[in-house]
Amino acid sequence: MLNFLHWFLLVISFLLAALWLWSLLRQRRKISSAQSSTHGLGYRSVETEDALKAASALQKTKGTWNSEELAHSLGLPVALGQAVTGALVVSGWAKKDTQGGMQLTEEGRERSQELIRAHRLWERYLADREQMALDEVHAEAHRREHETTVEELERLDFELGHPAWDPHGHVIPGPQGQVPSSLGRSLLDEGKQGSRLRIISLDDEPAALLAQLTVMGLKPGVDVEVLEKDPDLLRLRLDERLVSIAAAAARHISVFPAPALPVPLGELSVHSRVRVVEIRGGGKHQRRMLDMGFVPGAEVMVVRKAPLGDPIEYRIKGTAVSMRQKDADTVLVEELRNE
Amino acid sequence: MNEKRIVIGLAGNPNVGKSAIFNALTGSRQHVGNWPGKTIERAEGVFYHEDWEIHLVDLPGTYSLAAQSLEEVVARDYILSGEPDIVVNVVDATSLERNLNLTLQIQELTDKVVVALNLMDEVKRQGWEIDVKALEAALGLPVVPTIATEGEGLSELTTALIGVAEGGMKTHTASVDYGLTVEGYTKSLEADLASLGIDKRRHWVALRLLEDDPEVVEAFKAGNLPDCCLQENSPPISLEALQTVLRRAARLRESTHPDVRIEIVRRRYEFADSVVHRTVNRLRPVEESLTEHVDRIVTHRVWSWPIMLVMLSVVLWVTIQGANVPSDMLATAFGWLAKGMRNLLAHMNAPWWVVGSLVDGLIVGTGTVIAVMLPPMIIFFTAFNLLEDIGFIPRIAFNLDRLMRAVGSQGKHTMVAMMCFGCNVTGVLTSRIIENPKDRIVAIVTSPLILCNGRFGAGLALIILFFGKHALSVTLGFLAISMGAMLLATWTLNRLFFRREPSGFVMELPPYRTPKWGQVIWRTMIHQVGHTMGRAVMIAAPATFLIWLLGNIPPGAPFEQTAVGHLVGTLAPLGRPFGLSGEMLTSLLFTLPAKEIVVSSLAMT
Repeated sequence: MLNFLHWFLLVISFLLAALWLWSLLRQRRKISSAQSSTHGLGYRSVETEDALKAASALQKTKGTWNSEELAHSLGLPVALGQAVTGALVVSGWAKKDTQGGMQLTEEGRERSQELIRAHRLWERYLADREQMALDEVHAEAHRREHETTVEELERLDFELGHPAWDPHGHVIPGPQGQVPSSLGRSLLDEGKQGSRLRIISLDDEPAALLAQLTVMGLKPGVDVEVLEKDPDLLRLRLDERLVSIAAAAARHISVFPAPALPVPLGELSVHSRVRVVEIRGGGKHQRRMLDMGFVPGAEVMVVRKAPLGDPIEYRIKGTAVSMRQKDADTVLVEELRNE
Repeated sequence: MNEKRIVIGLAGNPNVGKSAIFNALTGSRQHVGNWPGKTIERAEGVFYHEDWEIHLVDLPGTYSLAAQSLEEVVARDYILSGEPDIVVNVVDATSLERNLNLTLQIQELTDKVVVALNLMDEVKRQGWEIDVKALEAALGLPVVPTIATEGEGLSELTTALIGVAEGGMKTHTASVDYGLTVEGYTKSLEADLASLGIDKRRHWVALRLLEDDPEVVEAFKAGNLPDCCLQENSPPISLEALQTVLRRAARLRESTHPDVRIEIVRRRYEFADSVVHRTVNRLRPVEESLTEHVDRIVTHRVWSWPIMLVMLSVVLWVTIQGANVPSDMLATAFGWLAKGMRNLLAHMNAPWWVVGSLVDGLIVGTGTVIAVMLPPMIIFFTAFNLLEDIGFIPRIAFNLDRLMRAVGSQGKHTMVAMMCFGCNVTGVLTSRIIENPKDRIVAIVTSPLILCNGRFGAGLALIILFFGKHALSVTLGFLAISMGAMLLATWTLNRLFFRREPSGFVMELPPYRTPKWGQVIWRTMIHQVGHTMGRAVMIAAPATFLIWLLGNIPPGAPFEQTAVGHLVGTLAPLGRPFGLSGEMLTSLLFTLPAKEIVVSSLAMT
């Protein structure tokens, strides 16, 4: 019996030690993959990510692609195309389709969207905040896009006020890769009582009007809520301020519906305080979440993550509830700023 | 017979001390755990007060009556059945908002509700004040503050029950305002229901139809409305009319924005929040509780591992070490008993087969099973129940969920697997902590793949016999194989059979609580050890009796010609490809009832 105990403990300790090491290594790998810029066509290296973007562009125009086309669009000798494609496959971003051509995997598509989003957000940042010349931002953004984690990206997006366009005029895709469909309509047509809209551009024709609107804080990237609409006057809420503009001025403002601000609960970092906006998913799971107190308007705090990163503990209505990130993601929330 | 007989249903969220109130009232100590979703079985008890005979029925702990899980269906159907005269709703006073969500749902079904405001000691410790009178007024129900674990407030609760039963105390149905849209739709559905002759609980049925409640919708589809909604002897309602109402409800549901299902729960919570806002005075700001401090260490990225390891080791060490002495003592005692019995029977000139089957078969066989199983079980279950009462087990599930997710299972499964190392039976018994039926089935099915203490003992003897010097590595190999097999089996089962079943893992982490020793030990002995040992002996006793008999007929024959000898001969060719002898296969066959028999049956053959 005693022997059993000794061996048993030995095995369990080995297992736990291995586990611990594994979790440490995993974290180390995450950090190193975020920091180092490995050279060459390695597993998910910078070069491979560049190839991914080129492949994604090819796929968008032609539906499928092969290694020669990829090499061509990257400006590489055809002989290298095979290696580049191989690196993409090894990284889990591309696979052969049934016709023998190449296709991006779901993960590959997501990563390429992420890269494009990172690139354009950085361009926006460099142009707006660091006053970099338009012809310089591309190279710098190109360097930074590979080093940005998703969290950093969301913070950047938040700080910049969820910009819709990069300085070159390209659309910045949303976090899930969604691209706004319309190019914007006039505030006068689109504005209905209670609607939330994002300003995407101001007509620069009557220059005096443009200057006045900018002074009022109405500029591209800003969200407004229409409180009231009279035949010749619109009352808007801009952050905490109320502004009124003439209908004639509203015609010169292009808007599109403000994308949903809420973020999935599972993506929030520890200690953030949030308010529930919506519960997705339907069925039993949705009902269970509602009954645990995750109703629209409820306040939630992220308490901690489990030692292996998942599940996550939340505090809601005075009780502690643990759930997996996947389940938490069905709850959409908005962050509460500390008062 | 007592004339004044009332039946009480005891409802409440998991983990609010419902069972503690049940025990304190009925005296038969039952299960009090610190694990959400505990009481799945129905427990009943009776107690007397003055000239009243009061029957208590403990309902499963639920967060809701939405009929989304088996527990919720059980609780709701019982309240709907009209059997309970009064429902006692036990609520956790420290998290009233969430608890009132259930109270309001019960109140929609029946107005005969008494609220037991439990865990008042924790409220006081946090320095809060609850205005009970205001709470009574806001809910329209009698509210009795209680501390179940110390028996405080229970006589007041009984008085309130009798007050409601006699009609002296007025109670009201829920007064939640579901908002213009929902109320409007419900009104129009209620009118439809009234025209069909449904005259009870119309508001409730209308709300459930709007909500797309699976049970109510099913009843409408099948045309068998539960008795709860109909007056006695009412004419049957045509299926077509019912389906017209269903279609209308579906149309109304689809035309609402926001989703009416979310809106109904949100409004209920809004009402609960406003009640709490008016009645609870949180004098001190919420400070960091002890639970918070402990959790920071127990779920720490680094420290959690050694802590869990030490905890598991202590439980197993105490079980194995502590069980050795009583096991030996029991074995000796049974040895004496056998000896005495043999002498006694010899004295009475009993035939040889009576002596043999009774002494060598029944007493020695059953004695071995009891001596091997009983002491470790008592110690193990006590330790496990303590951990459960303290609230440690949800934390382990929280820490290890990510691991088991890799094979499609969940955190609580690791707990079951760990317990299987002690004994597979205990592992299977602890699987009740898993709420999700799919994960529970997988945990039970895969648990025998883990080497338990019993098999380990038997296996160890054989390994040392066969491998000598290499015993250590072989043993480690076996452990690794068994764990690997368990993980692989879990993965395979989940991939093959439960592919489409979602495996959600939403779990409450209750605050740590001081365990009640008396209750822990009582429940260990009666509910778990007594039950399991009873079963084990019931199976092992006839089995060992039979094995002995088979090994000794016809009488006096050499081994090859006994029934077992024949069996060995028949099985020998079967076992040859695997390198097993006929004797081994036969003893394997005999171990089907209980693995512990393997040693004794090997000895006998």
